Amino acid sequence: MIWQFDILLLTLVVVCGFVSLWIKDLMGAVIVFGAYSFLMCLVWTGMGAVDVAFTEAAVGAGVSTIFFIATVFHTSRTIRYNKWDLSTKFFSSIICILMGFFLMVAIGDFPAWGDALSPVNNNVAKYYLENSMEETKVPNVVTSVLADYRAFDTMFETGVVFVASLVIFTLLLQSDGRKKLMKSAFQKVSFLNVSESLIIRKACGLMVPFMQLFALYVVVHGHYSPGGGFQGGVILGASLILLSMAYDIKKVFARFHMKFMIKSLAVGVLIFAGIGLICLILGGNFLDYSALSKLFPSMGSIKSRYNAMLWVEVGVALTVMSGMFAIYTSLSSNGKFEEGL
Amino acid sequence: MADQFLVLIVLFPLFVGLLIPIIAYFNKSVVWPLAILSLIGSFWAVFNTATQLLKLDPSSSISYYLGNWMAPFGIEYVVDRFNIMVLFAIICVSLLTTIFAKQVIEKELGDNAANFYSLFLLFITGLLGITITGDAFNLYVLLEIASLTSYGLIALGRGRALVATFNYLIMGSMGACFYLLGVGYLFIKTGTLNMDQLYDVLPLLFDSKAVLVGFVFIILGMWVKMAFFPLHSWLPNAYSLAPTAAACLMAPLMTKVSVYVMIRFMLNVFSTEYVYSVLTINNIIVIMSSIAIIAGSIYALSQKNLKKMLTFIIVAEIGYMVGGVWTGHVDGIRGAIYHITADAFMTLCLFMAVGCIVYRVGNDKLESLKGIFKKMPITMICFLVGGFSVIGIPPTCGFFSKWYLISGAFNSGAWYFIIALIISSLINAVLFFRIIEIGFFGAMSNEKPDYKSLQSIKFNEVPINMWLPLVIVSMILIILGIYTNEIMTNFILNIVPMM
Repeated sequence: MIWQFDILLLTLVVVCGFVSLWIKDLMGAVIVFGAYSFLMCLVWTGMGAVDVAFTEAAVGAGVSTIFFIATVFHTSRTIRYNKWDLSTKFFSSIICILMGFFLMVAIGDFPAWGDALSPVNNNVAKYYLENSMEETKVPNVVTSVLADYRAFDTMFETGVVFVASLVIFTLLLQSDGRKKLMKSAFQKVSFLNVSESLIIRKACGLMVPFMQLFALYVVVHGHYSPGGGFQGGVILGASLILLSMAYDIKKVFARFHMKFMIKSLAVGVLIFAGIGLICLILGGNFLDYSALSKLFPSMGSIKSRYNAMLWVEVGVALTVMSGMFAIYTSLSSNGKFEEGL
Repeated sequence: MADQFLVLIVLFPLFVGLLIPIIAYFNKSVVWPLAILSLIGSFWAVFNTATQLLKLDPSSSISYYLGNWMAPFGIEYVVDRFNIMVLFAIICVSLLTTIFAKQVIEKELGDNAANFYSLFLLFITGLLGITITGDAFNLYVLLEIASLTSYGLIALGRGRALVATFNYLIMGSMGACFYLLGVGYLFIKTGTLNMDQLYDVLPLLFDSKAVLVGFVFIILGMWVKMAFFPLHSWLPNAYSLAPTAAACLMAPLMTKVSVYVMIRFMLNVFSTEYVYSVLTINNIIVIMSSIAIIAGSIYALSQKNLKKMLTFIIVAEIGYMVGGVWTGHVDGIRGAIYHITADAFMTLCLFMAVGCIVYRVGNDKLESLKGIFKKMPITMICFLVGGFSVIGIPPTCGFFSKWYLISGAFNSGAWYFIIALIISSLINAVLFFRIIEIGFFGAMSNEKPDYKSLQSIKFNEVPINMWLPLVIVSMILIILGIYTNEIMTNFILNIVPMM
């Protein structure tokens, strides 16, 4: 970390936060949010948390900005004020300042950044750093912690993606009556109502295979470098989103159908949980990958941990990819799954 | 197999919840039986865990290491005599609700029924996971599962349910965020996420400001999740507009599980010494809960809509539990812990009965209850058992939890809490006797009874799979009351350390 650079970044982050509150145009606020996420990503990189930075870049700055844009596109671009607005703003800012103050009070009590003697570096994390290589043969400790030591958390995180996508899909896929109601209630903004040019279509079409190749690399190379199922899945999802933005959703559905999308959403988590279940059936504890060596005697317990983590990552990537695409298609087409943005 | 029961409790509903979206494409009619089967499986696992636990020494617990990584490095599941009660309550409530909910879900949700079942089971998974886990971060992940599914379940409701969900979404995310910040602060100071290890390490750090902030944020987060009075604004609309099945499941469980988490952190992470001796905020919080109880009761009195009235009763009941724990006396804490289970069944009984009424009558306005006793006698008798339990009439369990709460308040000198409890009981009596009046004599309190129209009302009870769970719940309320002493000596006495 270079402190001058850090101060600059953190100032910009705070400025972005204020600007996104200040700005009246919601589309502008969304873009500023995207910038905020990207700056945060730089801050994480500066701290050496490259995996977090990668996720922030893919999810925060990338996909969630598109989700916001899709939502703004179908609802309203401007904020409507009511008479309570001033008092709400006043109260909420007082609460925010109070909470911020509470959080700040304790900062003096924290160990210094990067302090080798701090409790965090001497308890569980120390064990992971010292033993991960021996016990799992995975050089990237983040991956071994996420996919093995605390795999149960990661399984439910994938479950969170599943639930979020299923909720959004179910809510927006409503009866026709409700769709009409939604349409009349919100005034549609048609600032992007231009047909896409040939150049955009062809350029996006060219990019998609490379994005998907890169995504697969990120998924399978998570053992050795930053990345893994979540990041790779988001990039895969982003490639589908890009394609459906350049053409339309129907075109993508011709290759990756809606029914298939919802199924693969569940299948991804089921791969993860299923591997855990196989371990349980083979006599180990749930998610104790070393039990898999009974099924493949040639691998041995360490090698089977290493390989099971890969399959788990594939499951995560499958769910995240279809989750991101399901959320995008539901939001951008208002639940009709026809054209989209 | 025998040592795998702890994880099986969570796995049954998880797998079926994930499989339902796939199965529903082939055959929609197997979804309901599958859901029931998975919950029966889970119940079987809870039952076996309980029998194992009861053979052991009262203060001991059973641990399960996920992925076979030892406790502070991996995630640990812990069952002791505290959470086995809560687990039983969760699995009984969800099993009965699922049996009850078949027709209601078909009627209210139609095409969305399959996805609804999926979210329903994952919600139960989340609650079971929150209760059974011994890891502070794993708790957060499952809290997220439970919250996200509950947003979805509520948003599928009628009318302005989407707006109510949005309010709940904002408040709920704030609550979860506060909890996460609190856990993060604890992690910075201790380097561990395991609750047992936190309990061992934290006494050395009792004077640390970061630990204090962590504690405050965890408790605040849980208060938002349980709708403790000034933070309750999301609850009434969300629960009264949710689909009946979702309301029957969520109203008894979500708030009570949050109370469980709060008590778990107070007793088994921060220790009673920190909460009651190092911090001296008992009295303020007991006063706040007294206000919560009175405010919830008064709001309930002003409602013209049955479900809304019940939601404000929940707000008051949360005040009972928070106040009981913070009295700092053993009896108060015991009463609060007992009340988690008791209140889960009480709320379930009332919400199920209202679900039956809405299924037959079509709405839940108080004025449409005229002559309801003649039309739906079984439903109304069960509703009254639930009502009596909320008022606190023996031998229902509500009486005994109130008894312990008052005893705890008396011994710690919190007279205002006793006054709040008594006022709330009186108001509850007014609420439920008003319903008896309308339902039995067929008139609102300001009009003359019209006996002719009463005679024309025919017996028209709900189907058996709806009234049978209701009868079982109301019997559980009485059985819990009768066996209070056994529950206290076998379970609760060992949880609360003597102070």
